[in-house]
Amino acid sequence: MPSGMTGTRHARFAPSPAALAVWALVAVVAPAAAQTRDEPYGFARGRVTFGGEIAGSVAPRDDEAFFNYTDYERDTLRMARLRLFGQWRIAQPVSLVGELRTENADQLDLSALYLRWRPLASREFDIQIGRIPPVVGAFARRAYGRDNLVIGLPLAYQYLTSLRPDALPGSVDDLLRMRGRGWRPAFPIGSQSVAPGVPLVSATRWDTGIEARWKTGWIETAAALTRGAPAVPVVRETNGGRQWSARAAVHLPLGMTIGVSGARGQWIEDDVLALVPEDRREHSTQSVLGTDVEYGVGHWLVRAELLRSVFQIPILAMPSETPLTAWSGFVEARYRWHPRWQVAGRAEKIDFGALLGTAGVPTPWDAPVTRLEGVVGFRATRAIELRAGWQHNWRDAGRIHERGSPAVQVLYWF
Amino acid sequence: MVRPLAALVLAALAVAGTPATVPRAGSIRGQVVVPHTPVAAARPSVADLWTTRPDPVDRRRSVVYLDSAPRQAFEELRPGRAKMDQRGQQFIPRVLAITVGTTVDFPNSDSTFHNAFSLAPAGPFDLGRYRPGRTRSIRFDRPGIVPVSCDIHSHMSAYILVFNHPFFAVTDEDGRYSIPGVPSGPYTLAVWSEIGRPATRKVTVVDGDTVEVNFQVGRSGS
Repeated sequence: MPSGMTGTRHARFAPSPAALAVWALVAVVAPAAAQTRDEPYGFARGRVTFGGEIAGSVAPRDDEAFFNYTDYERDTLRMARLRLFGQWRIAQPVSLVGELRTENADQLDLSALYLRWRPLASREFDIQIGRIPPVVGAFARRAYGRDNLVIGLPLAYQYLTSLRPDALPGSVDDLLRMRGRGWRPAFPIGSQSVAPGVPLVSATRWDTGIEARWKTGWIETAAALTRGAPAVPVVRETNGGRQWSARAAVHLPLGMTIGVSGARGQWIEDDVLALVPEDRREHSTQSVLGTDVEYGVGHWLVRAELLRSVFQIPILAMPSETPLTAWSGFVEARYRWHPRWQVAGRAEKIDFGALLGTAGVPTPWDAPVTRLEGVVGFRATRAIELRAGWQHNWRDAGRIHERGSPAVQVLYWF
Repeated sequence: MVRPLAALVLAALAVAGTPATVPRAGSIRGQVVVPHTPVAAARPSVADLWTTRPDPVDRRRSVVYLDSAPRQAFEELRPGRAKMDQRGQQFIPRVLAITVGTTVDFPNSDSTFHNAFSLAPAGPFDLGRYRPGRTRSIRFDRPGIVPVSCDIHSHMSAYILVFNHPFFAVTDEDGRYSIPGVPSGPYTLAVWSEIGRPATRKVTVVDGDTVEVNFQVGRSGS
């Protein structure tokens, strides 16, 4: 927990991340001394199965730049995370799927819980109802640690912009004053509590609704109707809007997968919309378009994503509605030169559309960030991986414009 | 239980009965009973489509072998080629026993990419990701146990046992095995199973006879 955040609605007991990392390491080594099980843990004759992942990351404290904070107000480079996945096969076509997650051991979140129904046994067609995986983009559906090539999360899915769903700027200048302060933006309309901004797409929280997924041959499609928005997934209703999202992907024979996705949902809460004139309230949606590519052949794995987000926001002092555009993209690659050793890196950027404030100079509504991260990984066993790397960030505004940081991580899955 | 079978490595050194001439042969057969056959079902995933259990399940899971072998056994090794298929997100067979110098082909018979690898000291390798219809191969030059996994599908696993003599057998679906052509003499017979500790029995092979040796393997070994 960074300084200055105590007393907020998110303040919780937070043990030292370093101590937690040691705890995670001990938790890793003990069970890993035995063989990693080939079958998942389970009972009820295999009807209930579960597995999990422990990830402990350690890096120097970042109380000034907040480059790696998530919407849980935690630093992804200083975190101990436990994920437990479970599945209860209720009947042949129906199962209950869930994930329990704790970060820094301060509370337990039911981050996913949904019914999965396969109506046609011969078809890879699932209907999922509940708190479901996100459809837009590709990164958010991957396991946090094992399938993440580096230690940090991509900017598009983690970096906190200055926008809040519960508070609105009264003018363009109000918004521009918060550039580079997504960890604690404050606005005159709506909630006056201290709270973080939102990322373009949340990777750490999932939305609630219904989703259909279908895979046949080389084509995979998904469509969902949920309650929140890409940046603001919700369990409880905060507004009357609905989010539509869809993705289509083609798996090419050469090892390449290309996906396109889109989503549109209302991201601003009704409580704050009630404070703006009625004719402005409909300007409260977020639209996201994305494309993702994965290419994995031999000892190489290369991925890239590009997301473009448009936030509609009813800024009172503006005569016409100006949508807030943002885009973020990354390219990442991993090369494994030995069964135990690998090197990986990610280059990424998040940028924002320009607005005209009273100064008359076009200015991006939030501060663009560029990030480079490189990691060397070592597979100690099949299920234990150690990583060490360096992440460097550059930002055009905010208290800190540039910051580099080493980070190490221990991963264990079972 | 995966553990380096020191006996496999030591077999080259701890040569039993070292007869000066080729002895006449008998055979060893029997059954290995294991209480539980692990099924490599996929771990639950909250982000993927429903994955079903593999069908059929390969139940050939144990290997019976001579812990020490006649000296001439090492001179008669004829390494060749073996195959470990990748089909239905399983390695088939799940347990493969070969002699030192054998090249194992890993065809990808699925519709998805696979990436077989092992971190075993006896034969670390990483075949990389390759597409359906392709085959990649690796030669095993050191005796020992080589657990094999898929880097893409965490529930896929298999074992390759590499011997420096030819006196071994993988059990069949019912746990039965037969090791023919064993030169006469006293031996230590061992069984390896992925879920239990290796167990051993003293046996004496008599020319023209068949010795029956059964094993009961438990989780803690027996």
